Amino acid sequence: MDEEQRASIRGEFVGFVFQTFQLLGSLTALENVMLPGELKKDVAVEEKAKALLDKVGLGHRMNHYPKQLSGGEQQRVAIARAFASSSEILFADEPTGNLDTKTGANIIDLLFKLNLEFGSTLVLVTHDERLAARCDRSIHISSGMLGENNDQLSESNVRSIG
Amino acid sequence: MNLSLALKLLWRDWRSGELNLLLASLIIAVATVTTITLFVDRLQQALTQESSTFLAADRVIEYDRPIDIEFSIKAQEFGLKEAETMSFLSMVFSDDRAQFASVKAVSDSYPLRGDLIISDQAFERGEVIKRGPEAGELWLESRLLPSLNLISGEFLDVGIASIKVTKALIKEPDRGGGFNSTGPRVMMNMKDVEATDVVQPGSRISYRYLFAGDRDAIGKFEAWVKPRLPKGSRIFGVKEGAEAIGSALEKAERFLLLGALLGVILAGVAIALSAQRYSLRHYDHVAILKTLGARPADIDGLFFTIFFVMGIGATLIGSALGFLSQLGIVVILDAYLPIHLPPAGIEPVLLGLVTGFVCLFSFALPPLIKLRGTEPVRVIRRDIEEGGVNALIAYAFGVVGMFGLMWWYSHDLKLTFMIFGGGIVAILSLSVVALILLRSGGILGMQAGSVWRLALSGLQRRGKENTMQILVFGLAIMLLLILFLIRTALIDDWQSQIPEKAPNHFAINISPEDVAPIRKLLVDNHVSAQPIFPMIRGRVAEINKLDDSQASQTKNEEQAPPSENSRNLTYAIDLPEDNKIIDGQWWEPDYKGEVLVSVEQEFALFNSISVKDELIFEIQGRKLKAKVSSIRAVNWDNMQPNFYMILSPGALIDFPSTYMTSFFLPTDQKIFLNELLRSYPTMTVIEVDAVIKQIKAIISQVTLAIELVLILIMVSGALVLLASIQASMDERFKQHAILRTLGASQKLVMGSLIIEFCALGLFAGVLATVGAELTVFGLKEEIFNLPYSVNFELWFMGPALGMVLIGVLGTFATKSVVNTPPLVVLRNVD
Repeated sequence: MDEEQRASIRGEFVGFVFQTFQLLGSLTALENVMLPGELKKDVAVEEKAKALLDKVGLGHRMNHYPKQLSGGEQQRVAIARAFASSSEILFADEPTGNLDTKTGANIIDLLFKLNLEFGSTLVLVTHDERLAARCDRSIHISSGMLGENNDQLSESNVRSIG
Repeated sequence: MNLSLALKLLWRDWRSGELNLLLASLIIAVATVTTITLFVDRLQQALTQESSTFLAADRVIEYDRPIDIEFSIKAQEFGLKEAETMSFLSMVFSDDRAQFASVKAVSDSYPLRGDLIISDQAFERGEVIKRGPEAGELWLESRLLPSLNLISGEFLDVGIASIKVTKALIKEPDRGGGFNSTGPRVMMNMKDVEATDVVQPGSRISYRYLFAGDRDAIGKFEAWVKPRLPKGSRIFGVKEGAEAIGSALEKAERFLLLGALLGVILAGVAIALSAQRYSLRHYDHVAILKTLGARPADIDGLFFTIFFVMGIGATLIGSALGFLSQLGIVVILDAYLPIHLPPAGIEPVLLGLVTGFVCLFSFALPPLIKLRGTEPVRVIRRDIEEGGVNALIAYAFGVVGMFGLMWWYSHDLKLTFMIFGGGIVAILSLSVVALILLRSGGILGMQAGSVWRLALSGLQRRGKENTMQILVFGLAIMLLLILFLIRTALIDDWQSQIPEKAPNHFAINISPEDVAPIRKLLVDNHVSAQPIFPMIRGRVAEINKLDDSQASQTKNEEQAPPSENSRNLTYAIDLPEDNKIIDGQWWEPDYKGEVLVSVEQEFALFNSISVKDELIFEIQGRKLKAKVSSIRAVNWDNMQPNFYMILSPGALIDFPSTYMTSFFLPTDQKIFLNELLRSYPTMTVIEVDAVIKQIKAIISQVTLAIELVLILIMVSGALVLLASIQASMDERFKQHAILRTLGASQKLVMGSLIIEFCALGLFAGVLATVGAELTVFGLKEEIFNLPYSVNFELWFMGPALGMVLIGVLGTFATKSVVNTPPLVVLRNVD
């Protein structure tokens, strides 16, 4: 696949949430959420984006720039953007890594709630074993070694926490 | 691609100040180019017009009989103004005296360019007038009035007509130099010529047809005329008509072109730098957009749209600014400019617009193309190198664009190749030197104190960026040095062309027995005079080629005799000062033997004469055989007695000859001429002082024009330096913020900044000096025909200039680095 085809697939099927949010600093919250739709040339992009921002609880801060938002708020915008492309698969890379515990928990709740609502598949990378435990299936990567057993993971879980 | 998204991004970038630098460089580029080209266009027009007054017209057709009426009809079709003059030599008679005079009859519309100065009394300052004498009037050169014992109001006989003398003629625009205008001037109206009855079959009369009009029409008319000219006639403008002024003008034009070229390069560099910075700051944007499904084509479309819209805005604003600043310059300078500038044409504005777009796309495209190749994975891995696109292809746009623009500006492929090739060679070799300099700077820094170590290790650490920056600084300084050096050389050349006390009077027709007394009279009156030359008129009747086949060929074609016009011949022991032997050898001072001749270069070329050919001269009905011993280059610009043919010592001793000399006479001593002429009435004095004064005036105007353009380019050069410093700001902000958080004092940070910039400037200055020296050598030799010598002061001036300039500009521009709290910096940079 060339870059062109890969981009099409990303646009069509995949959404991303990053540890460092990765919003476009020069666009407002609303415009950031509208981006995927605009790239796909969808219709009624603005309405959808507004609805999504309402859902993540930022209906009152739509026209703020990322710099004017707190970390938690920025990540909520990023989540809204990820769902805006109505992707089937959502990749989240350490979505709580840059947030404090409480905010992080709120963000995860939001992520799981929307995932359920949109019926998408969430693939989440994290160091937080409690967060991992909330997922249906976990794959453990340790120093490049791959393991896939929930029970084993639970044990290692205990060990690493202990 | 989504237009509204592009516009939105553009708008946001603009709002957030992301575009400021790129927009500013683009606007400055367009504005500079527009200003310079507009100004140069107006100056060029003005200078050409001003120097046209030297001919009293834009173009002149000269012939020894009246020309066909069709030329005049065509001129009217083109909307040109016309005038006519007739010149002939004639004796003129007052009641009790007679004098040989050069009579010029002019039509009513004379002069088309420039003006005359006349007065009631001889040798007065006089008043300016824009017409010649009316029918029934005679204007006489000052000197004629006392020598003919006349005052205005009395009558003078020209041919069989008696005409009233009304004014003394102080200055006429197309007096011209050389020997064509032998004898003092009598000016009359064309309508009176018939009454004089001097025009007879066989009488030698020079007809001149004067034309003036706007540039385009004149050009078209000239193109139409050229193939239709009768044999023996010629058409010429000021460039061909007055050699001294023509070559000065041509060099000035080349200089102004060079200035515009360098302006374009500087502007291009500024744009490339700021586009580079713009791209750098947008790699992350692109990566994010790609994770959202944007295809490379989308990215292209997006940024192409952004740049296009920006280009339109910036070029429009830039042209408007350029137009205004040019107006401003003209208003400010009006008081100092001795000439009136005609309004600017529309072409320079178009030039500015096109320049804007070509610059934007050829210089901004390389970084833009890199954007499309950004890997989306960059979002999580910042260290991923940007761009997989071949940088060579990307930069090819810049190279082609630059070359095209330069060619378009100069209409001169050779000049373009020289600057362009020189630039590329310089950049390649200099980047190597820059790297080496940086390395050595780092090593030196190791042994120094902390401020120095910090500064110099900083230089080395960002080696690639700093090499780039030194190159840019070096290039900018180099261009400025080149311009400065060429300007100085040109002005020196012009000033030395006509030295302060250059002879401004020629005395000819001196009879042999008068030579000694005249020499004594000149010495007694402290008049500085040149040696006295013998002068004999003769023509080349036959050329016997060394190579027989060529000679016979010539005969077979039954060509007219090689030279129809007779020339002034002389013989001399020494080679005249300004002449240069380009082939063969000059004779020994004590040479005796067969007659040798040294021939002027162009005459030799035109008649295909080479060394060892044999020339047969026809002098006063007798023949003289001479062998060509050398070919000489003559500087016709120097207003000195110059000869096409110089024979070996004593060659013409058997022929009755007259003598000539030249001398310098200041205006307030001109009355000495009357004493001279009263004592030796047979001699003729040609006054070229007015012509020389005029040449000097025009040259000083050209000089001023050149200074102005130099200043304009200097300003745009300073802007490039600023843009380049700005481009490195992010990196510096970050580095110094980190230093500040680690507890470095303001003094330390500031000190290391100053040292860093001074070092950069010093290195750039060294590079600029080397590059400038090489380029100036090429330019002088190939383009400006100026002698080259090493500029020793440059080797001190260049590096010092670089250090001070970059040190001050850099420190000034990055002062905010030190004053901004590190927290703010670190937040913004990330």
